[in-house]
Amino acid sequence: MTTPATLPRHTPTVAALSLDFRRDEESSRTLLAASVQEPPLRVVRAFDMEDGAALAHLHNVSGGLLGGDRLSLNVKVGAGARAQVTTTGATRIYRRRNDDGATTQLNRIEVGENALLEYVPDSIIPFAGSRFSQDTTICLSAGAGLFWWEILAPGREAKGERFEYEFVEMKTNLWVGGRRAAAERIRIEPQFRDIRALGRLGDYAFWATLYICREGIDARVWMEMEETLRAKFSEFAKPGASLWGVSTLARGGLVVRGLTHHGRDMVAGLHSLWRAGKKLLYGCEPILPRKVN
Amino acid sequence: MKSPPGGAPSEYLPQSDTELAELRLLQLADSALPIGTLAHSFGLESLVAAEILTVGGLRAFLRTYLEETGKLETVFCREAHRLAAGGVETFSIGRWRELNDLLSALKPARESRAASASLGQNFLRLASALRDSVILREASGTPAVAGRGQNIVHHCAAFGLACGVLEISADRAALAYLHQSVANLVSACQRLLPLGQTAAAQILWDLKPTVLETAQASASCRVDEAQSFMPLLDWGAMEHPAISTRLFIS
Repeated sequence: MTTPATLPRHTPTVAALSLDFRRDEESSRTLLAASVQEPPLRVVRAFDMEDGAALAHLHNVSGGLLGGDRLSLNVKVGAGARAQVTTTGATRIYRRRNDDGATTQLNRIEVGENALLEYVPDSIIPFAGSRFSQDTTICLSAGAGLFWWEILAPGREAKGERFEYEFVEMKTNLWVGGRRAAAERIRIEPQFRDIRALGRLGDYAFWATLYICREGIDARVWMEMEETLRAKFSEFAKPGASLWGVSTLARGGLVVRGLTHHGRDMVAGLHSLWRAGKKLLYGCEPILPRKVN
Repeated sequence: MKSPPGGAPSEYLPQSDTELAELRLLQLADSALPIGTLAHSFGLESLVAAEILTVGGLRAFLRTYLEETGKLETVFCREAHRLAAGGVETFSIGRWRELNDLLSALKPARESRAASASLGQNFLRLASALRDSVILREASGTPAVAGRGQNIVHHCAAFGLACGVLEISADRAALAYLHQSVANLVSACQRLLPLGQTAAAQILWDLKPTVLETAQASASCRVDEAQSFMPLLDWGAMEHPAISTRLFIS
């Protein structure tokens, strides 16, 4: 019988997925003009949406991320284009084996002039014994808009795993019109710092951040939106089961933080806020992504 | 020198630079410093209103605060100290503005971000009045610029910068900044919770080892490595504008 110490060594995967969305001037629709796809990362194809936007599903054909894997996602949304990017399922971060390093994900996102990106993935599930480090930079040009969320699950709840990962690190830099709008630097290390501590997650299991941004919107409009979205919470927040907060950023948008006991409440809340936010910023409702496997 | 009545001149000891710096540091870290600290709870008011933060959980909460937000702010305090410590020739106004811009970006909640900026600007203005310094004047910006909110200065950065100018050591500055941060939160909790004077003093007393550990940990942490994860406190700070009757501005 093999023991963990004698498992065959995994050769870490180094792979990149680059997506270039452009607006076709003739049809006014958005096309996936170019893509570079290195296995195991795949986008089968971009789907046309009713509003002329393009929908792409990020797919990791290996099923998940292994220790030491280094993956990068580069998304460019050209001037005037509109893209929605989602995942085919949750991002699973597997337990590291032997001397595997952390699994790393590097995201570089550019949203061009008057373009719009809606990045609405499923949750990140760090398995017991995993190490995950993510570095995201998002740049919005003049008039560009963004809906971007990340959901962090506590682990494989169905297997009784909760906060048994070694660490999750997330570094995010959001630039709007060439100026820094938001930054996050988090490190969650449940074995060394009590994740259940008051001030961190307390009794909650799922944590999410949603950015709603658009370059060129007046600060007073963001203040009004902050109030409007805060009033929305009562429509879906469950007292004792979830907490939702919203605030204007240093510039260019809003940030929402969600804390829930259950993943389904998190997704439902984010969808409600996305709908409300897009109605306010763009005068239309979002088209919820069709999931493909 | 005239002898004091009833005593010989040797009873009057000469002041050392270290003692003078210590006295100045005590004043700068005093909760009575007139910069507005008593008006802010940084989201604790919401946590108390939601019955998430109670007297029983306060000590542990503040320990977490020191480990997370406290450490991050102290890293920035030290970096600001570094900017000043080399003197006016090496002080970079560009780097100073970047530091404060990054701090603004790292503070997601509007009210807490504004509170930190208000305290920072008030602190810097006061420090400039107490000690004439080219660095402090330049860091404050012009009154017109500051008045338009175009020169955001956060409290932790202003504190570090002033200590650098005053030649107070970075380690002492870090300790003092952390201690005054947590002392102000304890003070806020005395108004929010049934927390008596002795109990409050005991909590602050008991947190001193954590203050020391955090200050030490911040010494080896670069600005680009500084991290903080306090989603419940973020929620409290974001929720604060919705409280109908408020004791605090943040």
